[in-house]
Amino acid sequence: METLAALGHGFLVALTPYNLLWSAIGVTVGTAVGVLPGIGPALTVALLLPVTYGLEPTSAFIMFAGIYYGAMYGGSTTSILLNAPGESGSIVTAIDGHAMARQGRGAQALATAAIGSFIAGTIATAALTFVAPLMVKLALLFGPAEYFALMVLALTTVTAVLGSSLARGLASLFLGLALGLVGIDMQTGQARLAFGVPELLDGIDTVVVAVGLFAVGETLYVASRHRFETEEIYALKGSKWMSREDWSRSWKPWLRGTLLGFPIGTLPAGGSEIPTFLSYLVEKRLAKKPEEFGKGAIEAVAGPEAANNASAAGVLAPLLSLGLPTSATAAIMLAAFQQYGLQPGPTLFDNNPELVWGMIASLYIGNVLLLVLNLPLVGFWVKLLLIPRPWLYAGILVFSSLGAYTLNNNVVDLVILWVIGLVGFGMRVLNVPVAPCVVGLILGPLAEQQFRRALAISQGDPSVFLTHPISAALLIIAALLVIGPMVLRYRNNGAGNGSSSSPSGTHPAT
Amino acid sequence: MTTGRSMRAGEAVLGGGLIALGGLIAVETMLTPSVGRAVVGPALFPYLISGGLVLVGLSLLREAFAGAIAHAEGLELDLWAVALVAAGLAVQFLLLETLGWIPSTTILFAAVARAFGGRRLAVNLAIGLALAAFTFVTFNYGLGLNLPEGSIVERLTSPDAE
Repeated sequence: METLAALGHGFLVALTPYNLLWSAIGVTVGTAVGVLPGIGPALTVALLLPVTYGLEPTSAFIMFAGIYYGAMYGGSTTSILLNAPGESGSIVTAIDGHAMARQGRGAQALATAAIGSFIAGTIATAALTFVAPLMVKLALLFGPAEYFALMVLALTTVTAVLGSSLARGLASLFLGLALGLVGIDMQTGQARLAFGVPELLDGIDTVVVAVGLFAVGETLYVASRHRFETEEIYALKGSKWMSREDWSRSWKPWLRGTLLGFPIGTLPAGGSEIPTFLSYLVEKRLAKKPEEFGKGAIEAVAGPEAANNASAAGVLAPLLSLGLPTSATAAIMLAAFQQYGLQPGPTLFDNNPELVWGMIASLYIGNVLLLVLNLPLVGFWVKLLLIPRPWLYAGILVFSSLGAYTLNNNVVDLVILWVIGLVGFGMRVLNVPVAPCVVGLILGPLAEQQFRRALAISQGDPSVFLTHPISAALLIIAALLVIGPMVLRYRNNGAGNGSSSSPSGTHPAT
Repeated sequence: MTTGRSMRAGEAVLGGGLIALGGLIAVETMLTPSVGRAVVGPALFPYLISGGLVLVGLSLLREAFAGAIAHAEGLELDLWAVALVAAGLAVQFLLLETLGWIPSTTILFAAVARAFGGRRLAVNLAIGLALAAFTFVTFNYGLGLNLPEGSIVERLTSPDAE
């Protein structure tokens, strides 16, 4: 009841004409930027940060909620029509979605993705409404030792789950952790690794690193591969509506995708990659014609897209109630909170209820707006795919440099952006995932803070992490996640070296 | 054209780079005089992370010479286009404060467009100029941000401001 009252209050905040306007602007630009090839949700949120600087926090986060959901919708359009998934959660959608587009059923693929996203998003937002306060209660049981263990687990899952090899994931993670060290130490005020550059004392901004890796690094990579790869865009033709058969084949996958997506999204399990993949496997197992999978089965679009959106809502639960980002997009949202001097967690629910609940309420509203924007207006968004590539990527870099410069109004951030972009290009060529770097950069300093607090409370006794049961359990899970696959690989090694090569061009930057 | 052999070299560079970064962090932390008497000082995490960097770097080096790498069969890369995009960004941050947002961003736009095969320089410059001017006006007057006007322009428009 308490929750419903809080949510009702949130709706009053979100439904004021002023905030409604920002929500509508958020979903529209979120969709528009999310549709652009090469731009996933993480980059969409990062690039649109400067737009919110002039707003007060509540309106800014209502707009962010819209951008976040809008970018998820927009991303599915790109993966279906262009076979260019903007983030790992859309890889699975791209397989059958693009196959459907090739057969002239692109409109139906987009429709099942949009309606599925709406249904999954609405159910998952409702689940978020009730799960987030429960997580806040859980968070109140957490001391520094438990927080530290939870952050270690999140860092481990993001690293171990994504990418082709553990060594490459760890390389990305440690690079992020190293970047996180730069600047003034929060507890002693001592400068670390600033090398006498005053602008580095404030640390390296997560947004600069994210834009550097996702936009600059990705643009450099696409520039290097541009001459060797051809794109196929399929125009929408024929009936735009889903047939009776499409509906009856879609609704169950929507619901099953939601059931998979939300719970896994709330866990520190790297966001949407696992649930979308699981949804694909489940649908294939249950389908009447599994042989159609990979050749344009509508279930294989409906299920994973629903799972993708449901997990996007799920990711917000640990982000809002524990301050724990479990995907690159969530890491940037956390950076946005910090930009406003806010720290997500139980205190945010106490001190800024209108912000938290206004944001959650606007997720419901954003979903409705997005359904309206995406079903009738899909033809308009498709036109954005036709922007000539030279102008598209030139524009992406203009907005990337704009975003990096306006963070602190200094050129040093542009130099950092450039360096990180070149590193990101190298990582992209070598198949090193970039998400662990972004999450490590923002979680590293927070984990260190909790670690030192825990030891200060225990007066230097390091056994505190293992004598607290929750902390011990979380650390053991984290250790198993790293050691388990290594043991498996070692045992399989007798059967020859597994090749980790994957087709180029189809993998997004995450 | 980049061969499998140079991909291995690239992976080795990455591994070596991580080891060097780990070493740099350790040395810099050693040279920084420690302040405060907290139970855990500000030096512990830098040491842990530098140790991690060295270990990961070593394991990447091992993979580079003996293990599975990405694109082991080689990957075609147009490095000229990469250099052009990188140069465009460098020109922008070098000239941003003197020339201002609009000219430096126009150059960036034209450079990137050329790297992606856009051959009509005049058209690209015009579109770049329009986009740069549009963002300058929207963000500075509409959203209250501070994109630089350029010190040259400032000196021209207010000659007595010295």
